[in-house]
Amino acid sequence: MRPALVWLAAALLLLPLLPLIPWAFARGWFFPDLLPSRWSLAAWDYALSPAGGLLPALGVTTLIAALAATVSLALALPAARALGQRSFPGKGAMMLLVLAPVLVPGLAVTMGLQGLMTRAELTGTLAGVTLVHLIPVLPYATLLLAALFSGLDPDEEAQARSLGASPAAAFARVTLPALSPGLAAAWALGFLVSWSQYAPTLVAGAGQVQTLPLLLFAFLSSGRHDIAGAIGLVYLVPGLLVLALASRTLGRGLGASR
Amino acid sequence: MSRLELEGLSHGYGETPVLQGLTLAAEAGALTALLGPSGCGKSTALRIAAGLLAPASGTVRIGGRDVTRIPPERRGAVMVFQSPHLFPKMSVAENVGFGLRMRRRPAAETARQVAAMLERTGLEGLGARRPAELSGGQAQRAALARALVLEPQVLLLDEPLSSLDAGLRSGMRALIRELQRETGTTTLVVTHDQAEAAALASHVALMLGGRIAQEGPPEEIYARPVSAEVARFFGAETFLPGHGRGTSFSSPVGPLALSAPAIGPGTLTIRPEAIRPGAGQNTLSARLVEAEFLGTATRLQLDVSGTILTALWRPAEAAGLSPGDIVQIHLPAENLWRLPSA
Amino acid sequence: MRRAPTLLLLAPVLLVLVPLFGGALLFGAARSLGHMPEIGMDGWSLAPWREVLTDPQTWRALALSLWIAAAATALSLVAGTALALGLARPFRGAGLARLLVQVNLTVPHLLAGAGVLLLLSQSGLAARGAAAFGWIDAPAEFPALVWDRAAAGTIAAYVVKEVPFVTLLALSTLASLGPGPVEAARTTGASRWQALRFVTLPALAPTLSAAGAITFAFAFGAYELPALLGASHPLALPVLAWQKETATSLTERPEAMALALMTAAVAAGLVGLVARARR
Repeated sequence: MRPALVWLAAALLLLPLLPLIPWAFARGWFFPDLLPSRWSLAAWDYALSPAGGLLPALGVTTLIAALAATVSLALALPAARALGQRSFPGKGAMMLLVLAPVLVPGLAVTMGLQGLMTRAELTGTLAGVTLVHLIPVLPYATLLLAALFSGLDPDEEAQARSLGASPAAAFARVTLPALSPGLAAAWALGFLVSWSQYAPTLVAGAGQVQTLPLLLFAFLSSGRHDIAGAIGLVYLVPGLLVLALASRTLGRGLGASR
Repeated sequence: MSRLELEGLSHGYGETPVLQGLTLAAEAGALTALLGPSGCGKSTALRIAAGLLAPASGTVRIGGRDVTRIPPERRGAVMVFQSPHLFPKMSVAENVGFGLRMRRRPAAETARQVAAMLERTGLEGLGARRPAELSGGQAQRAALARALVLEPQVLLLDEPLSSLDAGLRSGMRALIRELQRETGTTTLVVTHDQAEAAALASHVALMLGGRIAQEGPPEEIYARPVSAEVARFFGAETFLPGHGRGTSFSSPVGPLALSAPAIGPGTLTIRPEAIRPGAGQNTLSARLVEAEFLGTATRLQLDVSGTILTALWRPAEAAGLSPGDIVQIHLPAENLWRLPSA
Repeated sequence: MRRAPTLLLLAPVLLVLVPLFGGALLFGAARSLGHMPEIGMDGWSLAPWREVLTDPQTWRALALSLWIAAAATALSLVAGTALALGLARPFRGAGLARLLVQVNLTVPHLLAGAGVLLLLSQSGLAARGAAAFGWIDAPAEFPALVWDRAAAGTIAAYVVKEVPFVTLLALSTLASLGPGPVEAARTTGASRWQALRFVTLPALAPTLSAAGAITFAFAFGAYELPALLGASHPLALPVLAWQKETATSLTERPEAMALALMTAAVAAGLVGLVARARR
């Protein structure tokens, strides 16, 4: 592909994000106008009002994503060490088990869990939604951390042990610092995976847990493109933030640790 | 100053045994080299000595104390790896002080000892640097300083020179020898390079196939190998099977005079540099097959009635010779070594 | 050196994933057989499966979902590979181009769908552009790319999301391959196309088949994009499943679960086939 075609492809890929911006600041934007005839912040006023529900949804989405990412990281760390640095019987089966939730549709998994969730009184609760978000987040966190562990030289930790560090001290002072840019990346990935979930929240939330994507869907299907535009722009932010950080700090951090 | 003893060590990865009853002692206060081809299990032995790997069977003793089940941080044996493994997020001084900090030594004492060790290893003024800012030689010296500052009972060095450029090796070799002599630390060096082992250590143990094939002063192994494998590892290429009849040995190149009597079938070996040009003891007439100029020496393949002898001569001695020439050579009797029959 | 037993390290992940994921499949299967004790349905019955398998709507939904997944996967693989080959060569601004291509990786699927809706609907930005050029006069003259029977909008949204994914994976494979093999092929007389056909593409094949399997499984089983951008007839399989789940009649819930399990089985089955073919 020639550079000109590469640029064209990049532009085409980004094109769908473009209409969100005028819609978010439009006041009446009718066919065939290429740009809104009047600009306003009315969509934002509505979205931010209690009726719009943007702020609570933002809070709920952020909380669930942060919880799911943090819990996943803690649970995944030991398993990732085993998968990344050891060979053991059944490793292939373990990898398959970790991969399976990524490949099986979230709608089917969450629908299957409904009976259990109802009995545990988790349906429609924040905890319940966070729990079902672990199903896709935990595999991503485990696989990414396993790749990071396999990139570490186990001799670094062995060197620390030989110099007198206990297993815990060697892990805390040598392995963890070497891993820290990767841990941040894994947390960010986990956050984004949870942030992007739609179907599991729809099923497990049972209308009680309103996250940003559910709100966005509602305004899109009721034809309120202006409010959808405003919510969409907010919904876009964490991803862009992670991308910007990844291309700078994380890139540098990962580069230096090699 | 403590003696390190490895006794009957066995270890395997999966199905393949790496160590098969390895027994080796590093004398207190001495520098011992564990020599062997890559993959022979010598690094595994070192890791077991350091406590980084548990042997399937066998015992590790330091100063007479059984430490086989003692974790690495409480062994008194410190290992320095092939690559320096300086901790990247710590300064050079923090790296060198790492072990002291793990031992919870007072900060002031640590700082003083670190400064002294940096000076002894020629790293004064570099303490505040990050490991990434050091050259390869400096990093290797810092790794050595980090181990020696702990005044370990036993120092274990895994291929300490192999990550360095050829030009830096002799300096590092001298530093290791000097520091070892000054501190009197019992030291076991693992290397695959027989010249490096000979230059560093007063006692060399050659490991082949998971156990010690021969040990002793390097000159001894060099001159009197116990087997063809040992001789080959030390660079011998000429092996002459035959039959001993007292001080004469019938071989494919003809009868050869021996300096010590031998009876019965056996194999003679002679080092390439011991095969000399001109007439003398055991003079033979050889046809030059090939001469290879190596810079400081010329390597010659010589055909004596169908048997190829490999000789290493000074370039001046081989000047003017070309393949096909007939040359006179001799094999001094004191350099013909009869391999003990197994 | 003693170390923690491997099973102990794996335990936290196993203790979460096995009950949640395994439990979902097990309890889902029970539910699809009419066993829903939480609402007082204690029996076991094959009726839901019989109902689902004999309903022509099911097969239309399956066909549509297969079409969406196949089209989205094929387009993403072709475009992603071409884009990776373009980005692998140095050119002015290549770093920026790489960054721009990666943006959609972090964009949630639903947001890509929202963008496609606002871009491609008959009153969307593209239609307005067409009007500005005088190609159309009324929204209805713009081709129906959203809520259409061919699911063009749904496929477009998947392509927008998955092309960066394929590109990134292919780029990392190309980087680990290095220029060596292609240079060797060229000096031994291969044309540029022959080098691509016989050296580069075979090297990319494992990566592309993995990326393709993941894309297919996702596009086949995901709910939100066909729900947002699809026509009301036919429905994609996951949309049909959820519609039955939320129907007023409780008897349709086991059928909904059967449909959801069908979706899961097809998605997992395809990935299994690809994994087996790669061995």
